[in-house]
Amino acid sequence: MAEGGEPVILEDFLLAEDAPLLEMAEEDEELDLYNEMTFGLDQYPMEDTPKLLVPPKMSPEMAEVVAEETEAGEEPGPEVAEQLEELGEPLEEGGTELEQVGSELEEEEEELETEEQDDEQEPCEEPNDLGDPAVMRAVQSKPTLESQDSAVLDSRIGSCWAEFGKEGMLAMDPVMWGSCPGSVPPHRMLEEDKAILQVLERPPPSTNMALDFLGSSIQRGYGGSPRLKRPDLRLMSPKSFPQRFLQQTAGYTSPVPFQPGSPTVGSPPQSLAMHFGPMSPSLDPALLFSPSASSQLNLSTPSHMTQLHPQHQRILTQRQQQGRQVQSVSPKKQWSPKVDPHAGLMTSKEKDWVIKVEMIQLQSENMDDDYYYQWYYHRLERRQAEEELMGGRNKVEPLKLVTPFIQKVETYDSVVRIAGSLGQVAVSTCYSPRRAIDAVHHALVEEVGSHRLRALHRIEKLFLQLLEVEEAERKVSLALGKEQQPCEQEQQSQEVDSIYQALKIRVCSSEEEAEDEFLQLLCVRKGKKLVARLLPHLTREQGEKTLLTITHHLPFLMKKDVLDESLPLLYSPLNEVVGRMTFSKLIKVLQELTQPLSESSELPLAMALKNQFGISLLYSLLSHGERLLSSDVPLEPRSGDFEAWTDTVYLVARELSQVPKASLVEPLFLPSNLLSLFCRYLDKQTVHHLEAKMECSPLASEAAMLC
Amino acid sequence: EKHLVLLRDGRTLIGYLRSIDQFANLVLHQTVERIHVGKKYGDIPRGIFVVRGENVVLLGEIDLEKESDTPLQQVSIEEILEEQRVELQAKQESEKLKVQALKARGLSVPRADTLDEY
Repeated sequence: MAEGGEPVILEDFLLAEDAPLLEMAEEDEELDLYNEMTFGLDQYPMEDTPKLLVPPKMSPEMAEVVAEETEAGEEPGPEVAEQLEELGEPLEEGGTELEQVGSELEEEEEELETEEQDDEQEPCEEPNDLGDPAVMRAVQSKPTLESQDSAVLDSRIGSCWAEFGKEGMLAMDPVMWGSCPGSVPPHRMLEEDKAILQVLERPPPSTNMALDFLGSSIQRGYGGSPRLKRPDLRLMSPKSFPQRFLQQTAGYTSPVPFQPGSPTVGSPPQSLAMHFGPMSPSLDPALLFSPSASSQLNLSTPSHMTQLHPQHQRILTQRQQQGRQVQSVSPKKQWSPKVDPHAGLMTSKEKDWVIKVEMIQLQSENMDDDYYYQWYYHRLERRQAEEELMGGRNKVEPLKLVTPFIQKVETYDSVVRIAGSLGQVAVSTCYSPRRAIDAVHHALVEEVGSHRLRALHRIEKLFLQLLEVEEAERKVSLALGKEQQPCEQEQQSQEVDSIYQALKIRVCSSEEEAEDEFLQLLCVRKGKKLVARLLPHLTREQGEKTLLTITHHLPFLMKKDVLDESLPLLYSPLNEVVGRMTFSKLIKVLQELTQPLSESSELPLAMALKNQFGISLLYSLLSHGERLLSSDVPLEPRSGDFEAWTDTVYLVARELSQVPKASLVEPLFLPSNLLSLFCRYLDKQTVHHLEAKMECSPLASEAAMLC
Repeated sequence: EKHLVLLRDGRTLIGYLRSIDQFANLVLHQTVERIHVGKKYGDIPRGIFVVRGENVVLLGEIDLEKESDTPLQQVSIEEILEEQRVELQAKQESEKLKVQALKARGLSVPRADTLDEY
């Protein structure tokens, strides 16, 4: 495969070259191949085919580079190898695109790679153990993204970001990103990256395997798992750095330098061609990083930008110090000698992003909602109060966790390039879908003709208003005894009133029931819920009016509720309303039930008996009436009230006795004073009959004697 | 960097935490499920675990120095599974007795079928 691969390599390598050269190269290449096969690896192919691989200017360049890298003047061998290795890596990524960065660079990279391989004389898969450092032999690099996919404009964007967006290069970040699609040679970055230079001071125990890794990784190209991110090498502690390379060769599918062009890149949130999370690369430094050089050391602590709780911070720094001390004293603990090859799967950038997201979630204007927040500070204050009492210390201000004010980034790249697509794909981002949906809904509202939709829309609107009112009230109640401002109260009642008005409750409307908006609302379960929740907030008159309307249209509502069976929702609040009514009002309501309907011969009363809500409401009304009558409170009845009352009672009794037991529904609540009510007006037999029907608990003997 | 994760269904997992996200989904490497019964515990190697965030109760880092000095005694897998089964049985029996006793007194507590739903 190596040999088969060579022509490919050279093509890539020569992409930047002129066409004629390419042709010549190909020819010579074949010759070369033949030579190689015949005579074994030829050490100086360049001599035969000068034009083949590299323009002659490469040699001096390379020498230059080598010289640069070995500024310390140390032994070129392993040092250079390592440096080259270093260079090789970022250069690979930076250098997957051969065109833009500058052909010189690429060629440097190739040379350096070959050189290191030269030095090692590893039995690599490729035949490139060339003794002469001057020999330029193209190493199979990954096929350029650009070469493979004509649609890709610039595959470097993502890689730059991945590559240079390390904490170690904070200071240079703005510069880097500004110049990324430009020409900053990666190797210069390496020099500036202090972390790397430190590494170089310690000669690694064996570079053989390390470089082999590099070589093999180069080969894998696309074959390697493109999803695997290269471990965040720079941030590892210097000591373990060479070791990790060791391990990486061992069992690790090659951590191929992350290829932005990989076809699978489209989706994962870690795709670098697109944003990482909601951030855009150019905004990162501004948002997340504070220019802090100490970031490099934050291995175990989360990024410096996150503010930990002070105690937590203290623990972590203590631990770090201890760790460091331990390290200096004795070699690492049991597990460390075998450095984890799988560690560092998440880059610090990713970690920071997660932390950022969580911090954002923590932020909220309404701290009253946060149970944990409340409880925690409650406890803290309590503890401190205790301490104060005990120790008589000065009151220490409770330390609060300050979440960094991370502004949600609402900006995004106007030009999003997705690798692997033809040209520019239509992309749009939405940061608050809820707002967008609501906006659309608003726009649609006017057009909607359907009654039902309108009703639903109204319900939603009113519900929101109601929720706001309740929220305000809750806040007041939580305000720990603070007196509510009269103006606030006024405001609230106004809100409630507006909701009530919006409901458009019309008593005894002459309109068709289908036209009545309030009733339409009531037909929907949520509408019933709305009314049920609203009732406690209403004034007495408003509540009574509502009750009256509901009772008036009770047959209609009951009919509509057959499927839903949500009328009982209303029972409880209506019960409250009933409990406060005067006798006259009560009579009025009852009269609604006793008025014969135009459509059917049946009394609404009778129909109510067959519906759970209806019967419960009826019982509740009767019970209240009985309560009023048997109490000593002066009733102030209007003329005709008592007659109406007795009439009603008789009617009820009659209906009850007539209704077959089977169709009599159990009420939600059976008031205990109904029987005594009946006792007053009816004979014993009837009462017993009714008692059986209603399945009341047997009367107390005293009451029974009265009948 | 070993971490201990407690899951909603009561399992304890120990492994190297490789990756997290904002939902607290976890990727654990070289995971070991540790079963505790009384003073004994047993480890079952499980490999790689991907845990959905909503099932995580808590997550903590294991101090490797302190990891070795526990008062607990490690036993073999078979043994610990056996112990667990025995414990579970005992619990079920006592639960049954309790429910019966309550019923006799007129209280019926609906038994939670799943441990974690409350």
